[in-house]
Formats: sequence, structure tokens, C-alpha cells
Amino acid sequence: MRRLTGLLAVLAVLCLLPAFASAQAKTTVTLWYPAGDITAGAAHFADKALFAEFEAKHNVKVEAVGLDYDTMQQKIFTAAAGRNIADILFIDNGWAPGFLKEEMLEPVADAKAKAWLAAVSPEIKELSDYGNGRMWGYPQYGIDVYGLTWNKEHFKEAGLDPEKPPRTWAEFREYAKKLTKRDAQGNITRVGYAIRHVGHPHGIVHKHFWALYSAGVRLVDDPLLLRGGKAIINTDGGKAALKLVLDMLDVDKSTSLNFPDPRAAFLKGIASMQISETVSIKARQPKEAPDLKWGMALPPAPKAGDAPVSLLGAWVYSVPKQAKNKALAWQLIEWLNSPEKDYELCRKYDASPRYKVNWDKEPFKSDPYDQALKVMYPAGKKLPINLGFNGVMDAVGGAIQKVWHHEAPIEAALAEAERQANKAIADAAK
Amino acid sequence: MGLARLRSRHLLHAYLFIAPVVLLFGVFRVVPAVQTLLYSVYKVELLRGRFTFIGLDNFRDLAAEPAFAQAMVNTLVYVAAIVPVSAALGLALAVLFNTRFPLRELFKAVYFAPMVTSTAAAAMVWWWLYNPQFGLFNVLLRLAHLPDQPWLMSSRTALTAIIIFSVWKSLGYNMVIYLAGLQSIPQQFYEAAMIDGAGPIRRFWRISVPLLAPTTTFLVIYNGILAFQVFDQVFVLTGGGPANATNVVVLDLYRQAFERYNFGYAAAEAAVLFALILGITAVQYLYSKRFEVAY
Repeated sequence: MRRLTGLLAVLAVLCLLPAFASAQAKTTVTLWYPAGDITAGAAHFADKALFAEFEAKHNVKVEAVGLDYDTMQQKIFTAAAGRNIADILFIDNGWAPGFLKEEMLEPVADAKAKAWLAAVSPEIKELSDYGNGRMWGYPQYGIDVYGLTWNKEHFKEAGLDPEKPPRTWAEFREYAKKLTKRDAQGNITRVGYAIRHVGHPHGIVHKHFWALYSAGVRLVDDPLLLRGGKAIINTDGGKAALKLVLDMLDVDKSTSLNFPDPRAAFLKGIASMQISETVSIKARQPKEAPDLKWGMALPPAPKAGDAPVSLLGAWVYSVPKQAKNKALAWQLIEWLNSPEKDYELCRKYDASPRYKVNWDKEPFKSDPYDQALKVMYPAGKKLPINLGFNGVMDAVGGAIQKVWHHEAPIEAALAEAERQANKAIADAAK
Repeated sequence: MGLARLRSRHLLHAYLFIAPVVLLFGVFRVVPAVQTLLYSVYKVELLRGRFTFIGLDNFRDLAAEPAFAQAMVNTLVYVAAIVPVSAALGLALAVLFNTRFPLRELFKAVYFAPMVTSTAAAAMVWWWLYNPQFGLFNVLLRLAHLPDQPWLMSSRTALTAIIIFSVWKSLGYNMVIYLAGLQSIPQQFYEAAMIDGAGPIRRFWRISVPLLAPTTTFLVIYNGILAFQVFDQVFVLTGGGPANATNVVVLDLYRQAFERYNFGYAAAEAAVLFALILGITAVQYLYSKRFEVAY
């Protein structure tokens, strides 16, 4: 009898243990972000101190998990389908249309969105607003602004003024020709301008967006339209934008298909000019090319008097509909994106702030990089939010590749891209 | 105990023993395969749990899509190149390793090593080997006073570069299978041929090649099936580019499913690929019956 009582007591304790343990366990808020050098801001999640204050205040644990960038979209989607997803997703704003198509994201509460849009600077407002004040997440500080970066030493060496970047396409071609270097056999050892022509089609469009948009191409005519709309691609401007690089490849021989990663080529000193996210050059240059002296400006415009165009991009904090701790997730996001935290974290990580009030404070007020960005912001355009966006980007990226790889003439490639893009828009609207 | 009862008990035990494997195979292989075939006639909205029957619309879209046509052509070119080339080189190596020479086992292991290396990891290394500026292949070309090649950077050379990688990867396996085939051919055939005055080349073509027919059939079918499903090396080395020059059917269906969320369309691509592999394998199998040998 005594044995039986003992056994029952042990069993009772064993049964109660999990309940006791779960009562003691803290709630864990999970956040998924891209690992590696993909975005300067994502590296901050590895900082254990980042969430300490929030964790102490709410008695929760915040777990930031780095995912492989190349397969992150797919992982998020399959995790959502399996109802086993993070509470917060730190995503590229270019991915949002695909997720919205699947009705996967929680909207930001109207009142919160209104307050945010009123308090942030215009470019952040543009990136945040998905039409009529609707928001699907908060863009992180240190947004991506695409700009022309150039190597000042190469400019001097080629007899160019290192403080004066090319302003028009004609100047751009001339500069690139002068900056190109060859070996004794005539092989290019340094390109005047490095182009992105391989890899994911989206990346290829991003890097040539400046030329396409300044020439009048529109990936979707109304960038804030979720369903419907029209792609305007096969135009004289579109043809000119593709011909610009094609001529640099074939006529000027100032660029080459053998230099596939513009940023790496620029930092290695084998490219004199490139156009991509300036924040990425700023983050990588001290480590990868500490002696490099570089300048930054808006990409060139088709001709004098035309407005230059830059691409605005951001990584966004969003909450999936399938999240287990939605309320806590929004609390954490709002805490991370408060004016005070914006100031504190931008100072700590040397990033550009989002709140208007913080732009008036030091060090941002007199930081030359931040002030140069401020000049570039008004020329920035964000990508459309259309539900057929992925198909549009695939179509345009494919056309660019076909032309530059001499697989198709410009007219045929653009006509096919426009057909595919409009089909993607129409299919997504069904 | 009657004989019939003993037999049924014996069968029951046999089925019980294979039951776990059959169950796992059914759950993880058969059910998803059947589900994929079913999805091909539906518009699938996975997150909303909505499935709309659309008949053959996905297949009609496929037929009208130039990107799919190009992916199919690229896949067929890849299969047509890799299957005979890797089999022929595997046979040549097997013949070489069928003779005795110092460090033979070490070299055998070296040739077999790519087979047991992760495709993704090996492809990452080859990505650097193919780098136009710093890669080993262009360095070797320069040493031989030959012009640099763009390798993965050009739509004209990218598919060839992937095929070279895949041949390197599959060579060791073909070599080992052919070696086993060669070693199972009775020596008296070769001895008789030698007595009749046949030289090594004649013996190879008249004895080894015909008697290796079952091995060749197996390798052609096996490599063919794997080649139709090529994905990893393309995903890592080129992502299907440049300009879709290396886009293959499995990569295209992956993109459709997981980047554009067109699961029905992707399932239709999988169904077409399945039918193609099944058809070609059946033809190969029936044709190979003519070459069946027994010794």
C-alpha cells in the first residue's frame, strides 16, 4: 500500500511538472530577418542588448532568427501555410505584394498609421503608405536610396574632376569610356561602369530602375494600385534605357558582362562607377576597401534638364496573420520604431533616421552622408505594390538580360516583357 | 498446422516487416505525388485553403508560355548532353581502373568523391572556379594562351558550364557501376577472344560493350531520371539565368510555386515532367530488352 501511495505521489508530481514549468516560462516573441550582409540594419538584431529593455519591461524573451536571404521568401510562405511562423517578419518591401496577394500580412491599425505618417519625413511616408494611409508595416531606419557612387582616385587618374559626377547619359558614357582600363591584349581590367546582369531578375531591375524610370517606363502605371493597372514598358524611353547600356557594352566597351557584381567590383577597385544602394557601400567600404575615397550622387538623367530618378527601398517590420503573439509583436514593433528609439538606434548604428524631429538633431543635422541623402530623397520612387508585381519584375528583368546578352533585339524583348507583365497584373487581379 | 495456414502466416510476417517502409513511402512519397497531380487541375490558394477546379487551364497556360517552352528545351539539352557524356567517361574510367596500377584505390576514391559531396557546397566552389576574373579555369586558359571565357556570365556558355559541373559530379558513380559490370564479365570470354587473335580494342567493342548492355541501360535510365530533375546546381550557379538560358523545368516550377505562389500551374509543370520521364523511361526499358544478356 505504501509503495502504491509513493508511486501515485511521484506520478502526480510528474504530471504537475510541465504545468508548473509552463507557468514559469516566458512568452517568446520571434523575429525573422535576413542573415549576412544583405542589409546593414539586419545585422543589429545580433546585438543582444537591442531588446533587453523591452524584454525586462514585458517579461518576455525576444528571439531574432537569421534566415538565408535567397530562400527567405519561400521559407516565410511555407511557414505561413504550415501555421508555424515568426511573430515579426523583417522583410524587403519588394516582397510585400507577393504576401499581400496571399492576404498574409496584418495591417497597421489606422490610428497608429495616421500618427506615423504625420511624424516621419516625406520619403519614409512614401515608403510606408500603401494608398489612403494604409500601412502593412514600418520601414526600418537607414532606408535604401539608389545612387551613383564613384571612385575619386580613378576620376583624378582619368583627368576628371573627382567632385563632379556625370549628370546626363551622354556625360555618363563619356566618363565611363575615360575610366575604363585595358591590359596589353586589350582585355578590360577595369570597367568605367559595372552593371548587374545576372542573378535574380528583381535585382537586375532594381539596379537599372534609374534609367528605366527617368526615361518614362512604369512597371505599373499607378504604383498604389493593388489590383489591375497597366505596365508601360515597350516605349521609346524603355528602348533608350536598354540601349544606353548596350552601347556601353558593344560600342564604347566601357562595361563588361564579366563584372557581375557591381558593388563588389567597385569595392575591389575594378569598377570606377556603379549604381546601387548607397547604404550598402557605406556599410561595406570601411571593412572591404578602407582606403577607397568615393563620392555619391543621384544617377544621371537622360539629358540636361530632365529629372533624375532614384529607387527607394526599405526593410519593413511586419506581422503575419498566422503569428501566435500578435499583440506583443505590435508592441515590440512600436517600441522599436518610436521617435526615441529611432534617435537612439540611428546614433548607435550610424544610420539615417525616419522621424522629422530627429533630422533636426545632431549628429544627423550636420553629417555629410545624411545630408547628401536628404538631397537625393526627393528623386526617389518606390516600387509598385501591385499584386502582379513579381511577374512584372520577372518579365522586365528577363528582357534586360536578353538584350544585354544579345539574345533578343530591344524591341522584341520589351514587347514580350510588356505582354508578360500585363498578363501577370491581369492574372493577379482575378 | 496446414501448409496453407503456414503460408499465410509467413505472408503476414513478411507484410508486417515491410509495413513501416510502405507506410512511410506512402505518406511521404505517394500521397504528395498524387496530391500534386490533383493540384494540376485546380487553382490552388494554399494560405486561404481555397481550391477551385479549373480543368486543363493550367496545362493550356503552360503550352502558351514561352518561358516554360524554353525551360523544357534547356532541360532536354541538359539530359541529351549529360547522360551519354557521363556514361561514356564513366566507362572509360572503369576500363582504366579495371587494370592494376599503383595508388589505384586512392584515385578511385578521388573520382568518386564528388558523388558524396553536397551538390550545393560543390556548386559554390565551382562558382568561384568559373569566376571570369579570378577563377581557376580562366587562369588555366590564360596559361595556355587561350581567350578567357565568360562561363556562367554569358547566356551562350552558362548551360555548358552547368553540364561540365554535372558531368564532374556524376562521373564517379558511373565509373563504379561500370567497374562492377566489367568485373562480372567472365574472363573466359576475353581468353577465348585472345586465343582467336583479338586485340584489346576489338575485345572492348566486341565483348565488354555488348555484355555491359544491362549496366548501360540501368545508367541511362537512372541518369536520365536524375537529369530531368536537375535543380540544385542550376539554383546555386546561375539561378536559371542569364536571360533564362539555364532555366530548367524543376527550377521554373519551384519559382512558380514559391515565388509567385501559382501552385496549380507549378503542379501542372510537375505533371508534364512526370509524364515525360515515365514515357522516356518506358521506351528505354522496352528498347533495352533487345540487349538483355545472360552469362
